[in-house]
Amino acid sequence: MAYLSMGEAHRRIADYLNRFSDAVSSQDGASLSLLLSLSSNSPSLLSLADALNLFQDTSRVIKQSDKYSQYTEIFIHLFRSLQTYRLGNLADAYQAFEKSANAFIQEFRNWESASAWALEALYVVAYEIRVLAERADRELALNGKSPEKLKAAGSFLMKMFGVLAGKGPKRVGALYVTCQLFKIYFKLGTVHLCRSVIRSIETARIFDFEEFPKRDKVTYMYYTGRLEVFNENFPAADHKLSYALMHCNPHCEANIRMILKYLIPVKLSMGILPKDWLLEKYKLVEYRDVVQALKRGDLRLLRHALQEHEDRFLRSGVYLVLEKLELQVYQRLVKKIYIIQKQKDPNKAHQVKLEVIVKALKWLEMDMDVDEVECIMAILIYKNLVKGYFAHKSKVVVLSKQDPFPKLNGKPVDS
Amino acid sequence: MMNQGGTTETVAPAETYSLENQHVVDASQGQTSSYIPQTTGIDALSWTIHRADHSSTQNGILASSTGNYQYDYHTEPPTRNAQGGLNVAPLTSSSSSLGTSNVSQDYNGYASYPNSTDPYGYGSAGYPSYYNSYQQQQQSNHSSYPQQQSNHSSYPQQQSNHSGYQQQQSNHSGYQQQQQSNHSSYQQQQSNHSYSQPVGAYQNTGVPYQPLSSFQNTGSYAGPASYSSTYYNPGDYQTAGGYPSGSYSNQTTSWSDGNYTNYTTHQYTNYTPESAGAYSSSTAPEPSLHYQQQYKQWADYYSQTEVSCAPGTENISSTNKSHVACPIPGVSGGYQTSNSQTPPSYTPSWRPDSGSSALPSVQPTAGISGANDVYWQHGAPSSQVHHTSPMQTQSQKPLDSRTYDSFQDQQKAVYSQGPNVHYHATQHESYQLPIKTVQPLDTRRVSKLQIPTNPRIASNLTFSLPKTDKDSFTTSASAKPAHVSVSLPTTNQKVMCNDAADSILKTGMFPKSLRGYVERALARCKDDTQTCQAVMKEIITKATADGTLYTRDWDNEPLFPLPNADAADKDSFQYSTPGAALLKHKRSPSIRPKSRWEPLPEEKLLDKSASMVTDTVKYGGWMNANERDRKPFVGNNESKENHLSATRYSPLDQKNASRNMQRLVKKQRFADGFKAADNGDASSDSDKEQSLTAYYSSAIVLANTPEERKRRENRSKRFEKRQGQAEKSHFKPKNAGGGNLYGRRASALVLSKSFEDGGTRAVEDIDWDSLTVKGTCHEIEKRYLRLTSAPDPTSVRPEEVLEKALDMVQKSEKNYLYKCDQLKSIRQDLTVQHIRNQLTVKVYETHARLALEVGDLPEYNQCQSQLKTLYAEGIEGCHMEFSAYNLLGVILHSNNYRDLLSSMSRLSVEAKEDEAVKHALAVRAAVTSGNYVLFFRLYKTAPNLNTCLMDLYVEKMRYKAVSCMSRSYRPTIPVSYITQVLGFTTPKNEECDQDSYGLGECVTWLKAHGACLIPDNSGEMLLDTKASCSSLYMPEPEDAVAHGDASLAVNDFLTRTSL
Repeated sequence: MAYLSMGEAHRRIADYLNRFSDAVSSQDGASLSLLLSLSSNSPSLLSLADALNLFQDTSRVIKQSDKYSQYTEIFIHLFRSLQTYRLGNLADAYQAFEKSANAFIQEFRNWESASAWALEALYVVAYEIRVLAERADRELALNGKSPEKLKAAGSFLMKMFGVLAGKGPKRVGALYVTCQLFKIYFKLGTVHLCRSVIRSIETARIFDFEEFPKRDKVTYMYYTGRLEVFNENFPAADHKLSYALMHCNPHCEANIRMILKYLIPVKLSMGILPKDWLLEKYKLVEYRDVVQALKRGDLRLLRHALQEHEDRFLRSGVYLVLEKLELQVYQRLVKKIYIIQKQKDPNKAHQVKLEVIVKALKWLEMDMDVDEVECIMAILIYKNLVKGYFAHKSKVVVLSKQDPFPKLNGKPVDS
Repeated sequence: MMNQGGTTETVAPAETYSLENQHVVDASQGQTSSYIPQTTGIDALSWTIHRADHSSTQNGILASSTGNYQYDYHTEPPTRNAQGGLNVAPLTSSSSSLGTSNVSQDYNGYASYPNSTDPYGYGSAGYPSYYNSYQQQQQSNHSSYPQQQSNHSSYPQQQSNHSGYQQQQSNHSGYQQQQQSNHSSYQQQQSNHSYSQPVGAYQNTGVPYQPLSSFQNTGSYAGPASYSSTYYNPGDYQTAGGYPSGSYSNQTTSWSDGNYTNYTTHQYTNYTPESAGAYSSSTAPEPSLHYQQQYKQWADYYSQTEVSCAPGTENISSTNKSHVACPIPGVSGGYQTSNSQTPPSYTPSWRPDSGSSALPSVQPTAGISGANDVYWQHGAPSSQVHHTSPMQTQSQKPLDSRTYDSFQDQQKAVYSQGPNVHYHATQHESYQLPIKTVQPLDTRRVSKLQIPTNPRIASNLTFSLPKTDKDSFTTSASAKPAHVSVSLPTTNQKVMCNDAADSILKTGMFPKSLRGYVERALARCKDDTQTCQAVMKEIITKATADGTLYTRDWDNEPLFPLPNADAADKDSFQYSTPGAALLKHKRSPSIRPKSRWEPLPEEKLLDKSASMVTDTVKYGGWMNANERDRKPFVGNNESKENHLSATRYSPLDQKNASRNMQRLVKKQRFADGFKAADNGDASSDSDKEQSLTAYYSSAIVLANTPEERKRRENRSKRFEKRQGQAEKSHFKPKNAGGGNLYGRRASALVLSKSFEDGGTRAVEDIDWDSLTVKGTCHEIEKRYLRLTSAPDPTSVRPEEVLEKALDMVQKSEKNYLYKCDQLKSIRQDLTVQHIRNQLTVKVYETHARLALEVGDLPEYNQCQSQLKTLYAEGIEGCHMEFSAYNLLGVILHSNNYRDLLSSMSRLSVEAKEDEAVKHALAVRAAVTSGNYVLFFRLYKTAPNLNTCLMDLYVEKMRYKAVSCMSRSYRPTIPVSYITQVLGFTTPKNEECDQDSYGLGECVTWLKAHGACLIPDNSGEMLLDTKASCSSLYMPEPEDAVAHGDASLAVNDFLTRTSL
């Protein structure tokens, strides 16, 4: 770092203060958000940080002018945050930034009565809070300390949500904060905390969902869709994730991929298979074997695919969804047997002997005995994947003559 | 005035100085006003001289030392001057002036403290400078008053060493000879002392002093320690018993009566009593002796008192040390007590003095002057007066500190209200004590001769110190008396030490024979001077109390047995116990001891006395209170602040102390920061210095704490934590002038908590770790009883016994309830002893298995969650077995998708290879797919206790299976098949019965669930699936209880209790 004179440091600080107060007085949300975007690592902020490291007595500068001193709380902590951020002390940087953000919210309340010009700056603050907290937690974890900043960020954003959740133009900002909250909660694994936010978004009359910015809507639908996956509410998950997919910016392939990552298993569980090019395009090839197994009734392939990508599926939370596809694979297998039998002898095709199924599974190297297969057949019938009944005495699956293998057609398997 | 001064001071360093000066001036003016009437003439002369000296020395010191210190000094000089001017009577004036000067100094220091920058500057610079200045002042004083210097040095030493006392006395005598000049010097010294005390540095000052004094300071450290102890004692008293308050009040009353009144009224109201008490007490002993010696003594006393005060202030840091040391010698205890005692005596004396002097408002001064005069003229009265005057001075110092605090507070109020509040709070605390003391003082005052004082006087005259102590004891509240008593011994010891050193000078105070006795005793136990001193103090106090001090044949008196430390400790304990206030103080004292200890420990004290530790702890409580009080004051005096903070930290012992310290520091820093901000860069330096001083003090505290740790396991942990906190806080303050949050919080907490309620501690302040015990119980069998209080070591079994107990439980034939009870008690014993090793894991595993076997899920879950953390700590055990249980638990009991996913994703590769885990995963697959055949197969092949967990899901699984079958099968299913598939058979039972048994059970179960059974031609039971399809239902569990936990059913409870 080049030598920085005290005067230059002072000038930079004063310049920053000036720009801040100018942005506020001219209600320039964009400029204001630039000044707050800590993690953007913009050159101007970095040079300001250097100046702050040199120039210790910033509070005096801030107090020099009335137009600054009303934001003293914001500045003091923001400067401290910048300083520590520059020095790589992220935990302290977060701590200071949260204080600054707190002061910012207080000011925001005053600014936002007429218009929502400062929403953009508020978004930046919410974003910075989350990103700083995540990085601070990483730093803390590295140092063997308990990472707790993200949790603090969560409660802070809840507070921010409260500020926005009222009437008026600023309420459209609520969904952004909600999405940041989702990100935090999903990261922390405390998704149950999402419920209260969702409730206020979905039940409060002041929120007309379509009024929100599209990007926030997509994000919101994505996260709530994931929640529905966790809850095994596949129709709802399908609806939300499809909405996210439909409205997502087609150029944001990463986002589309994230949506598809959950939407594909959901669709699979409802009997809708993706085209291969889709998996290729969005690099979701881990699903390819699963789809193949479904198409072929190849239980071995399904189990193999699940085992191969177990970690990934477990982490993303779709493992159990995919595991349930087993029944569809069995259905497909029986159907194949039925079709073969039909080709051989259409009259007796609706009677599938248990031992045939056992033999087929043996070919797939699935070591299952008669009792087990019988049980699976019972379950298939019970779940309406197969129409018919099982005759215990003769060990035969008697299929219905009409549509013995009903298609799911977008309906989930009966539970 | 004070406040204004403080505020102004806070504004700028220079300003602060000026302010300080102003304050001083104000104080001095106020004092002077009172004083002037008293003894303007002589005092003025003496003062002028002193002033010149002081000013010169102070100036020099100031210049040398940081501005703050200088300022302080300056202020001191001015105050002194003013006081001197005010104080017509040499002694009184000197004392008053000293007190005022001290006050002013304190104020300065405080002012500086309040002003973060200023205080810091003061503290940092101030400390060194203080020390320097003190030293210099002392030196200057010494130069001007060689004797004084020696006295000063001797004082610290004296405190530490009884001999030092004697020396001091001698010095005092010398002072007396020097008379006013000496007094003035004394005052200066006192001021210096006070400064030095704040400096905390005290040790440093002590050292310098010692060199300067060279007098008998050999014990220098001990001396300083003793000083500090005395100081501390005053401080302790203040805090603890309100000694300080008493002293303060005394001072305020007396002093202020003229000047202080205002101050005292403001801050002092509370503080004054306390500080006065403390100060007076501390000073009183010495003064008494000195007084006996007469003016010279007075001077000495003053010097001593000053010294003591200074030591005290210094001691805050040094005192800690001294406390440590002192307790060891017993001196510390004695000192404290002496201080406490002295305060009462002082107050009385003051009152009498005032009465005698006749100036009510000026009472202090008048009293002082009068006292001085009287003393000069009359041995006893004068001595009392002197005492009072010393007390006043001391008290003034405390008062000053308080006033400073108040100033600071005011300043803070101006700057930050928080500090003020805190100070007030502290003041209040101190006030409580002070109030008590005040009353005694008042009574004494009322009786001009002060009945209490009279005895005291008599004692003073005869043995000034002992008597005063006694008097103070009697007059003051029981708590105070205790302190007083302690202080008296210490003072006596100190005196003795001084005497030993300067037998000639001191002769007036104690009988020569007694001095000789003390010297002999001290010489005999050089290794354990602290305890020795304590014992000596005790003896002397007793003698004074008995009135045999002068009548006893000390030459032939058998020396006390060496193992005195314990006795001293006991004494200290006893002293501490006397009053509720004391008790409260004790709490705070514990904290203080650290600070006290810190200084001394660093040097020697820590190692010396365990008993001392206890004493210190108790005293510490007082000290804490004092510290707290001081802290506010400290705000003004950097050194004081540091000391205070240190003491506070130490007193708080750990948490409280550190918190308080931190808070104080923070507050100060804040204030400082503000000031600094205002002042600009200049302030930053001072802040840094202050922070450094604070750091040192904290470091000292830390050093002290370790000893305590050793001795007190319980506290040790707290100390560490607190120390750490304190350190952090200190550092932070240093780093940021703005002030650390920690420091702020700590100070705030300290102020609010400690001060508001000397005794009560917030729950969060309780160091639960300190409740860790080392069990001594050797009974293998023990019933579980939920702890409602701290565990009693005698009822806790150590690890080896617990091992036997676990073995016994495992082999026991008794039922689960008994075993559960035993295991819970084992777990409890492990927990309270913080044992976390393989035995712990074994105990929890054993209990978890037992609980699983009988289906005691609540207990199992407790064990499982404990085991999770234990395994996470890397302690070996049956990790796989229990992760399988965990997995099963998640699968079978929570329908939570996410929990299941996270549990599965957490499994390591090797865990997935484990039989039990594999089994658990297979069970999960069977459950999620509804594969009942697989489930019951796995049920039969389950390893470990997996069966027990699966049992909990069997009912549900069977029901689902039957529902499924009745939907899928047509027309019927043989029950025998269901029996086989759904695990109703128990293959390992007797061969012939097993099938029929299983079948019968299955039929029963099916019927209970509404299945439709029909016999077939051969008599075999068949399930009519179509009919059953709609008739199946889940029966209510038979053992259901309203609260959902069958194990809590009344019947069960009764069976348990009948065990």
